[in-house]
Amino acid sequence: MRLLPLDYAVRNLGRSPLRLAMSVVGAMLVALLVLTASAFVRGMERSLIGSGSLDNVVLLGAGSEESIERSEIKASVASQAAASIHGIRSQLGQAYVSPEVHMALPVTGAPDTTTSNQVLIRGISAAAYLVHPQVRIVDGRAPRQGADEIMLGRLAHTRMGLTEDAASVGRSLYFEDRAWKIVGRFDAPGTVMNAEIWTPLNDLMVAARRDTISCVVLTLGDAEFADVDAFAKTRLDLELTALPEADYYGQLVAFYTPVRMMIWLTAGLIALCGLFGGLNTMYAAFVSRVREIGMLQSLGYSRRAIAISFAQESLIAAACGTLIAAVAGMMLLDGLAVRISMGAFGLRMDTTTLMLGLGAGLLLGLIGALPPTVRCLRMPIPAALKAA
Amino acid sequence: MALIECRELTKEYRRGENVIRPLQELDLEVEAGAFLALMGPSGSGKTTLLNLIAGIDQPTRGELIIDGEDVGKLSRSRLAAWRADYIGYVFQLYNLVPVLTAYENVELPLLLHPIKRRERHERVATALELVGLADRHDHYPRQLSGGQEQRVAIARAIVADPRIIVADEPTGDLDKPAAHAIMNLLTRLNQELGKTMIMVTHDAHTAEYAARTLHLDKGRLVESGAHIAAGAAMEAAS
Ligand SMILES: Nc1ncnc2c1ncn2[C@@H]1O[C@H](COP(=O)(O)OP(=O)(O)OP(=O)(O)O)[C@@H](O)[C@H]1O
Ligand SMILES: [Mg+2]
Repeated sequence: MRLLPLDYAVRNLGRSPLRLAMSVVGAMLVALLVLTASAFVRGMERSLIGSGSLDNVVLLGAGSEESIERSEIKASVASQAAASIHGIRSQLGQAYVSPEVHMALPVTGAPDTTTSNQVLIRGISAAAYLVHPQVRIVDGRAPRQGADEIMLGRLAHTRMGLTEDAASVGRSLYFEDRAWKIVGRFDAPGTVMNAEIWTPLNDLMVAARRDTISCVVLTLGDAEFADVDAFAKTRLDLELTALPEADYYGQLVAFYTPVRMMIWLTAGLIALCGLFGGLNTMYAAFVSRVREIGMLQSLGYSRRAIAISFAQESLIAAACGTLIAAVAGMMLLDGLAVRISMGAFGLRMDTTTLMLGLGAGLLLGLIGALPPTVRCLRMPIPAALKAA
Repeated sequence: MALIECRELTKEYRRGENVIRPLQELDLEVEAGAFLALMGPSGSGKTTLLNLIAGIDQPTRGELIIDGEDVGKLSRSRLAAWRADYIGYVFQLYNLVPVLTAYENVELPLLLHPIKRRERHERVATALELVGLADRHDHYPRQLSGGQEQRVAIARAIVADPRIIVADEPTGDLDKPAAHAIMNLLTRLNQELGKTMIMVTHDAHTAEYAARTLHLDKGRLVESGAHIAAGAAMEAAS
């Protein structure tokens, strides 16, 4: 089959600058929308999935499997677990057993302000750095016990709605009726910890007047999950449940499934609107050329050749819009911090997201051109030649 | 054997009970190299017949044999390829592509044939020279007059060297001098290049350029007149 020159498709785009602009902007908006939705969903998923280490097991209160924050267990569980379970990883005599308190507390940037946001405060000991190796201190130092010091995750200020400056090292934050001095900042890429505030376990327990901890996180060495599970099941007095850390965050991913569905549904519906707009634009573009379509067929061009030329035309416009969207997405969206009920995470422009956005934009171009092309080409040639 | 043979050629449009018959059992033979004018009142079926011969429409019944082949029975895609080989179509409203230059418009039919770029270039240049527009090859249709546009369209119709040129009121939209120039050009194509020419016209003057005139009425041939020679007609018109 002989095709029409690509030049013909390209120059047809110039016939109506307004229509071209509409096609390009339409494809751009749809691609941007899909990019954003995908970056959001994937950023959220990754922060949850990335939070759970495969080797880690969490010991928490029986019945609180869905939320560490609601769990309360005896502070002695850490030492009992370390003593009873064999094969927990250790380094230089220090076992990878991290007792932790997780509390979602209202935090303010100034002493008397009433506007506050719930932030997850994690009370930690030195072992926390062992079981959470993702955590790297990027500014200042780790908080020391007894001085009401804290350390902030890289996205914690977003979570609190504060500027980065208001949450920098040297400033103070306020919760549990005290001022806490920021002495360091840490980065734990792609995990929920990035939106948290860390402080020494004892200081948090004193401030919150609690004598229980939330959980014990331990890292398996030679031991298996079954060993930890057996410990939890035999020590009925401690009322414990053992849960692989990855499973804990995995169930959070499942918990957010409706949210993700809503995001995709919304993106899909708006993209569909874009598609109908695109259909309209392309239909107007092609219908004004019906007589030309008849002429090209009279020369001997097949309907398929003409359809391909129209598809090229539509795809070129869509590709321009999609590329603009991709560049804009990379520059504006990648890493952009967003806040949701459970914490904060960065939007993620990965290959999958980029492919989805590009695919959506190009698909819009292709599908948008198809029905108008079919309609215009179905007309018998004599009728087409008579068209105005 | 005649180049074009129509036997009981019939075209019908059905709309429910209603049947419209623009062509009714028409018999016609056209010899290779003929110059035929089709005349008749509006709605008599002239364009319908022309479109059938041009292979852009298909008969309901009857035979349409062109160069030994029953064109009415070709599949849609075979017919498209057949058109590219046999037919050059000249329209009343030129139908040039506005976004292509005169050169590119003329080149369009050649892109359907396996011809090297250099030869394509030569053939487009020759065709434009023949219609006297060699110097306008890079002009867009909007930069040309109506008569010039029609000459580009004629160059487009002959560039692939088809055996048959069909023209539907080729001068219908032009003033007298421009129409005269176009008719002279078509006559030359007929006489010098031996193209078989079939032309629809309303205008008796224009019909005089043709060697033979057929009158259609309600889808039937009513009478035919043969002119002495196309050359005489040209003199008469000028
Ligand atoms: N698609 C169609 N459906 C129904 N009737 C049609 C169709 N196309 C043409 N006709 C009818 O066929 C008849 C012949 O039409 P045609 O176009 O061949 O006339 P014509 O002789 O070329 O007229 P004109 O001089 O006005 O161009 C007309 O009565 C017309 O209404
Ligand atoms: Mg007509």
